[in-house]
Amino acid sequence: MEHQLGHKHPLTHIISEVNTIFAELGFVFVEGPELEETRYNFDLLNVPKDHPSRDMQDTFYIEGKPDVVLRTHTSPVQVRYMESHQPPIRIIVPGKVFRNEATDATHEAQFFQLEGLMIDKDVSLGHLKGTLEFFFSRFFGGSTEVRLRPSFFPFVEPGVEVDMRLTGADAPEKLRGRWIEIMGAGMVHPNVLRNAGIDPEVYQGFAFGMGMDRLAMMKYGIDDVRLFYTGDLRLVNQF
Amino acid sequence: MKVSYNWLNTYFDGKLPPPEQVAEELTFHAWEIEEVIRVADDVVLDVKVLPDKAMWALSHRGIAKDLSTILDLPLTHDPLASVPALEPKTDTFTIKIDSPHCRRFAAARIQGVTVGPSPEWLRMALESIGQRSINNLVDASNYVMFDLGQPSHAFDAIKLPGDGIQVRQALPGETLAALDENEYTFSPEDTLISSLEGRALSIAGIKGGKDSGITEATTDIIIEVANWDPITTRKTAARLKLRSDASTRYENGIVPEMVPFGLQAVVRLILEVAGGAVTGYVDSALEIPEDIKTVTVTLAKVNRVLGLQLTVAKVMSIFDRFGWKYEMNGDTFIITPPFERTDLAIPEDIIEEVGRIYGYEHVAAITPDLTAPTTINRRFYYSEAVRDILVAQGFSEIYTSSFRASDQVKLHNALAADKGYLRSRLAENMKDALAKNAPNADLLGLKQISLFEIGTVFGKEQESYRLCLGIQSPSGYKPKSDGPILQAAWDALRSLLPDLPVLKQADLAAGICEIDLGETFASLPAPAAYGVSGQVLQVSYKPFSVYPAIARDIAMWVGSDVDEGEIADLLRTHAGSLCVRITLFDRFQKDEKISYAYRLVFQSKEKTLTDAEVNTIMDGVYQAVSQRGFTTR
Repeated sequence: MEHQLGHKHPLTHIISEVNTIFAELGFVFVEGPELEETRYNFDLLNVPKDHPSRDMQDTFYIEGKPDVVLRTHTSPVQVRYMESHQPPIRIIVPGKVFRNEATDATHEAQFFQLEGLMIDKDVSLGHLKGTLEFFFSRFFGGSTEVRLRPSFFPFVEPGVEVDMRLTGADAPEKLRGRWIEIMGAGMVHPNVLRNAGIDPEVYQGFAFGMGMDRLAMMKYGIDDVRLFYTGDLRLVNQF
Repeated sequence: MKVSYNWLNTYFDGKLPPPEQVAEELTFHAWEIEEVIRVADDVVLDVKVLPDKAMWALSHRGIAKDLSTILDLPLTHDPLASVPALEPKTDTFTIKIDSPHCRRFAAARIQGVTVGPSPEWLRMALESIGQRSINNLVDASNYVMFDLGQPSHAFDAIKLPGDGIQVRQALPGETLAALDENEYTFSPEDTLISSLEGRALSIAGIKGGKDSGITEATTDIIIEVANWDPITTRKTAARLKLRSDASTRYENGIVPEMVPFGLQAVVRLILEVAGGAVTGYVDSALEIPEDIKTVTVTLAKVNRVLGLQLTVAKVMSIFDRFGWKYEMNGDTFIITPPFERTDLAIPEDIIEEVGRIYGYEHVAAITPDLTAPTTINRRFYYSEAVRDILVAQGFSEIYTSSFRASDQVKLHNALAADKGYLRSRLAENMKDALAKNAPNADLLGLKQISLFEIGTVFGKEQESYRLCLGIQSPSGYKPKSDGPILQAAWDALRSLLPDLPVLKQADLAAGICEIDLGETFASLPAPAAYGVSGQVLQVSYKPFSVYPAIARDIAMWVGSDVDEGEIADLLRTHAGSLCVRITLFDRFQKDEKISYAYRLVFQSKEKTLTDAEVNTIMDGVYQAVSQRGFTTR
């Protein structure tokens, strides 16, 4: 019988595609620990202790070890990377993150996020828009518009929510033509730059964070995020 | 925060645009609107105020003020326009502050009030935003809290022996029955308001006590308006598991300077709805307000961060819309923020205000230049190479949970009992996954279940990055048939990882092996470029059925000139849409004839199929095969 090939997991395909597209813009693929130091996950990202900002993400803590957390986002790697690299910086950080919230078809306690960071002398919200339009157009096909709405995250200022709209015959029909909320982003807060050893008077830039499970669900038409982690080949072998 | 459109409109003399437009303007210039609901003749907007602006925007006045800026529509009146005098002062009651966590404390004594139901406009205003009307005094307090963001509390003066109030830390083990019918036990970190004799009256900034509140018989009140340290308020609320609309506002840092405005507003409202007369005010004014710190920002920086080309005049016009006090020095702006806006502290805060009011839709997209990355990620590069090898060997990739019911590293706050630990190995999940997929082997068209996972595991000291392989036949691991496949995959990996150890006997006996990739990759050469990725995957996922599948085999002799594809097509056509998988599992030649054996798997998306139903379909298949001239075996 013909030898049957195995299948890569759909999230692996997504990470690979994301890397290929961002590599065209010179974004370096960087990784960081899943069990992260609390200071990288919060304090150095301008999320002070005893402040409502810390409530924005539900965190898993380790018994007897208050100085570590299961990372709630891939943003800590921004600080880790900036500590050892001076601008110009372009990085993406795909990685597993953890949130202590109830699970359902669109929420899991573990999922994959994609962080993006671009720092140089004049990087602005305009570069954020341009980078995201480039990425989404290549990722979904067709062409993309991106729009920004005011929001807040402690590690950026200004902070924005990003919506995208796909147009063109190449774009998947189910997603075409309507505005979809896709990620949070903003200009890296000067405290974060300073904490990482970069002079905010000289350098500036944007950061964004988006869920990759959601990208996979949108691209492949998968309706339940929990399916990614059941180890079920009835999902994996379709890819 | 739920806000009433009609209430907001009282700040504009009814001139606000329709609610839908208000919602849209807020969405694109300030905050997401989570819900817009019609309630009687009003519309309620649920405004998603975030922690950065919560110190001033958890109020109708705050949101109205921002709408005024966004719409360039002046407020017809602003309760924060001038600092209230709070006169006459009285010495007919005293306030004793013995806590470092009280940032401001003021009160008024009002005599001759009549407690009763609130007038309809007040009742409707509170009910529109989901608050219950209690009586005119409590309602007045609530109204001011949702109007200006400043909480307050009315005490029955009769219940304050010695005509005074004390602010102090709780004694260890001290208790209080609160207005929510619960009894709370305190520790010295908790701040209380008590009588001068020491009887606890309320939990500062959080909740009033049952006994000190007003009743229908109350005629003489002390109305208290105060400000509490955000951090200690938050800690007490968390420890007692008691959050309130009041504590939320203190946690988010409403400024002490708001107290006189809140007191003047609530006194005026009480006099209006409950009658009475003010005997006098007491004001602790504990913190000496510093001069408000100015914020300095240049036009160049505004444009550089936002990606715009605004002129000085344009930026000034935006500051004017805000009503801010500012000075100019060439292209440099020196802004004195309003007293309640402690969110305006650094230049980037001002830049955000300019950006959101001007509108982010004006930011033009700039695509960064195309260039190659300076570094190739070693771990990703070699992980992909490992995946390619294993996929070629027939292994499929799974991702499983990082959580286990029991292991080395324990979570402090697990979500579920069976997810209280972090996995220290991949092998356990692999075993489960193999067993779970085994019953679906036919459905998947597989002879064995061959899986791999690449992922992180957590030991006592550190996390590590590992690869795990596993294989089993549908009825369990069979060393004779499955072992060689595992061995072959392992040997194939050695072409990439020359230092790969020999497969352990124990692993070959169990059908699962695991290895650390982190160290293994570290010793490999640094990659120069990513592998050329294959075709971009175009897949439309098909949800699978939850009902059991039924398999049937069919074998036949055909002439050696028959195209195999024709046989598969024939089977597919006659097996119908309930046949979800056709797998060729045997083929051999004898003389001029070839024998083909297929497994057909039937499954419905709507129900469990019966043997009888499948037999009927197979009858049709056998008939078609015979008619075509193939001999079934």
